[in-house]
Amino acid sequence: MPTIAELIQETGSQFTGYSYAFLDSAATREIRRAMLKAVAIPGYQVPFGSREVPVARGFGTGGLQITLSIIGPGDVVKVIDQGDDAGVNANNIRRLIERTTGLPTTLETAEATVVQTRHRIPEEVMREDQILVLQVPYPEPLRLVERSQTVARTMHGERDYARMWLALYEDVVRKGEVTVGAGYPVVVNHRYIMAPTPVPRWDLPKLHRSRTLHIFGAGREKRIYAIPPHTDVYPMEFDDIKFEIEEFGGQPCARCGSNVAFLTERLNTDGSRTLTCSDTAYCDLALTGGQPETWN
Amino acid sequence: MLENRETEFPLLSVKEVTKTYGPGCPGRDTAGCLLACDSDPGTNSCAACGSIVACRDVSLDIYPGETVGILGESGSGKSTLLRCLYLDETPTSGYANFNPVGECRNLFSVDRALRRHIRSSLVGIVYQEARRGLNLLVTAGGNVAERLLAAEWRSVSDIRGKASDYLSRTEVPLDRMDDFPVYFSSGMQQRVQIAKALSNSPDLVLLDEPTTGLDVSVQAGVLDLIRDIKREYGITILVVSHDLPVIGMLADRTIVMRHGRVIEAGLTDQILEDPQHPYTQLLASSAL
Repeated sequence: MPTIAELIQETGSQFTGYSYAFLDSAATREIRRAMLKAVAIPGYQVPFGSREVPVARGFGTGGLQITLSIIGPGDVVKVIDQGDDAGVNANNIRRLIERTTGLPTTLETAEATVVQTRHRIPEEVMREDQILVLQVPYPEPLRLVERSQTVARTMHGERDYARMWLALYEDVVRKGEVTVGAGYPVVVNHRYIMAPTPVPRWDLPKLHRSRTLHIFGAGREKRIYAIPPHTDVYPMEFDDIKFEIEEFGGQPCARCGSNVAFLTERLNTDGSRTLTCSDTAYCDLALTGGQPETWN
Repeated sequence: MLENRETEFPLLSVKEVTKTYGPGCPGRDTAGCLLACDSDPGTNSCAACGSIVACRDVSLDIYPGETVGILGESGSGKSTLLRCLYLDETPTSGYANFNPVGECRNLFSVDRALRRHIRSSLVGIVYQEARRGLNLLVTAGGNVAERLLAAEWRSVSDIRGKASDYLSRTEVPLDRMDDFPVYFSSGMQQRVQIAKALSNSPDLVLLDEPTTGLDVSVQAGVLDLIRDIKREYGITILVVSHDLPVIGMLADRTIVMRHGRVIEAGLTDQILEDPQHPYTQLLASSAL
């Protein structure tokens, strides 16, 4: 039994048994159509028929289906998992894309035309000719206050967000602040409340009037939504209790010395802890003297 | 206020509201149909088709600043009427013009967005059971905040200021503002519900048996509170009760309902002191 890679070798860019980029053309067309609708209605969750892909549901199948249906000759793909290009999940997805399309992949944000990511947005400011694809575990921000999807959809339709605001109010009253960490809900284009996927608060300002198209795919929950370039995206915040990003007390990255990137704590073998950049590609670039444009 | 009737528009004008449950007779001309019967038929259930006629041709006007009472025994259709007016239920026929949403708009045919606006901002309701009107999973202050947030209030300090203002006016101790109402006594829950209903100054407040089920001393406190607030803010109230003293204390005008019909309407004093309909006479005499 020949592998897909062998099939690609055999037939050049064509290969038998599977379509280019794995998905059949009907699936690609449907997913593209859902994306067009998502771009036309920023923040609105468009249902789509999530296909089977050779990755388990919940491991980025939504993002993968989007990536596979938008890439073609000339594209360069980068895949990151929580900022890290070397994550097992990122590696698997990268390899699948390589084998089914023969396209080159990269670790550098600036080189990529399509970046698929889980739980982080790259530190390097992305351009208008790039697309950021985000893997979404739970697309419904109202899940926090409403268990029924039918009711939640009606609430979106009517812009009935009082209960969501009430949840934030209760948080402030009882704990002194809004305690939502990753996945802080945002208002897109002054209309829909949207789950930005579990990115840290740090990444939310990057969504606001970004030059890059952001597409969100939830494979298990079968939803696609998008933030087109230059769209207003605001975190839900009160006039007197403002949204705040994470603070690292001015501490720089222990590896590259940068103090403008989101840091994660790493546990060393001797039990000590060091803070290093969560975005490894950025950290590598900063370490070799590169000075990319960053958000902060 | 009463003298200006001729020149004043009613805040709410209810016209011939009918609510039936069940298949219903084909039309009012049908022989034996309950809807065809103009006088009190002595029952709610139609002998011809078995449908329940909860309200039939109920009409009433409420003018700004006045309190109208609906008096009637259980099953008389008074709560159904109130539920229709809060848009919990859709009447089978009839209409209601509600001035704040435009004079010629029928309250019963508004779209869902306007319905939500009416329910969260223009009309407040106090249910007989505080549990129906309150969200027991959020704090007392949060319950009041819910209406303010629905009305696009976005400042926590403003919201807390307003909530504590109304909670203190309804005599809910402010140190319990951030407690869950599930731990409150029923009287205190009822006062939180009143604070919630009034907090964003609705044009109309519906009171559905606000004191039934409370013990007598708490009843008196709640009634005093409603009267004080009414005097202070000049709000318009529609109060439903089967309890004559409650109606006597609160209402300027009263309609009496039985078997889904309005059988008598007039000034409250007149209804209580000089009832014309035999049923109202019975009610008045049994209360004394």
